[in-house]
Amino acid sequence: MTKEIKQHTLSDPSTWVDQYGDYLYTYALRRIQDTSSAQDLVQDTFMAALKAKDNFKGKSSEKTWFTSILRHKIIDYIRKKYKQPFLETDQTGDIDTNSYFHSNGKWKDPPKDWASNPQKLLEQKSFLEILKKCVQDIPQRLAHALTLKELEGVTTKEICKVLDISSTNCWTMLHRARLLVRKCVETNWLETEGNKK
Amino acid sequence: MIKHWVFNCKDVSSLISRSLDKKLPLSTRLGIKFHLMMCKLCRRYEKQLLIIHAALKEEIIVPLPKSIQEKIKAALKKK
Repeated sequence: MTKEIKQHTLSDPSTWVDQYGDYLYTYALRRIQDTSSAQDLVQDTFMAALKAKDNFKGKSSEKTWFTSILRHKIIDYIRKKYKQPFLETDQTGDIDTNSYFHSNGKWKDPPKDWASNPQKLLEQKSFLEILKKCVQDIPQRLAHALTLKELEGVTTKEICKVLDISSTNCWTMLHRARLLVRKCVETNWLETEGNKK
Repeated sequence: MIKHWVFNCKDVSSLISRSLDKKLPLSTRLGIKFHLMMCKLCRRYEKQLLIIHAALKEEIIVPLPKSIQEKIKAALKKK
């Protein structure tokens, strides 16, 4: 009878950055968009991991363990951001969803056709880069609502708490974020495609 | 306040977004379906939101800058 050998102790800390640095940095960047804060969070994660290394019981993989430390730090970071009094530069409500539609409820600027085969889009690096940039370009609070929801699968209730907003506002924020990102992706993607021809 | 089951594009765009995060009541879902049956633009919108949803999950690894890597390695060594 062979027993599965479980790793109960962490690998040597001097190898951590090489093993997980890029992965954790990418993870943080995708969720908070700000490069220097993402770098700080990665550093904090490694330092916290070092302090807590005796807590690693091997129940999850090492990577998962590091990721969960980072995840908590990301949520704390976002939560702290919105505890501060409303800053002029941090627009959240400027974009009126009504401006996308005529008074009769029809599209003002209707969605255009992106591609004959949507699956192909997911395989194109240029499309993914455009999407990444578009998420960075929308008002930050909207971006955070969107990434928390789409990437973390956080419940709307929890998002409201983290962003310090009412639940009605939460739905509206996600709706606004999606309208903005979609429009941005469309404009930039079609331009890219147009340039190819 | 959405009355009856006849939705316009503005209603549906908002409801589609909500439906991605939460299961809506049957009557609402039927209303959305009915509108989508007749509205090519909103069908497109829904498809595009789903593409974005899937694309957001696709990962392009961004390397941690060398200087930061060195900084962290040094900090880990100290302790």
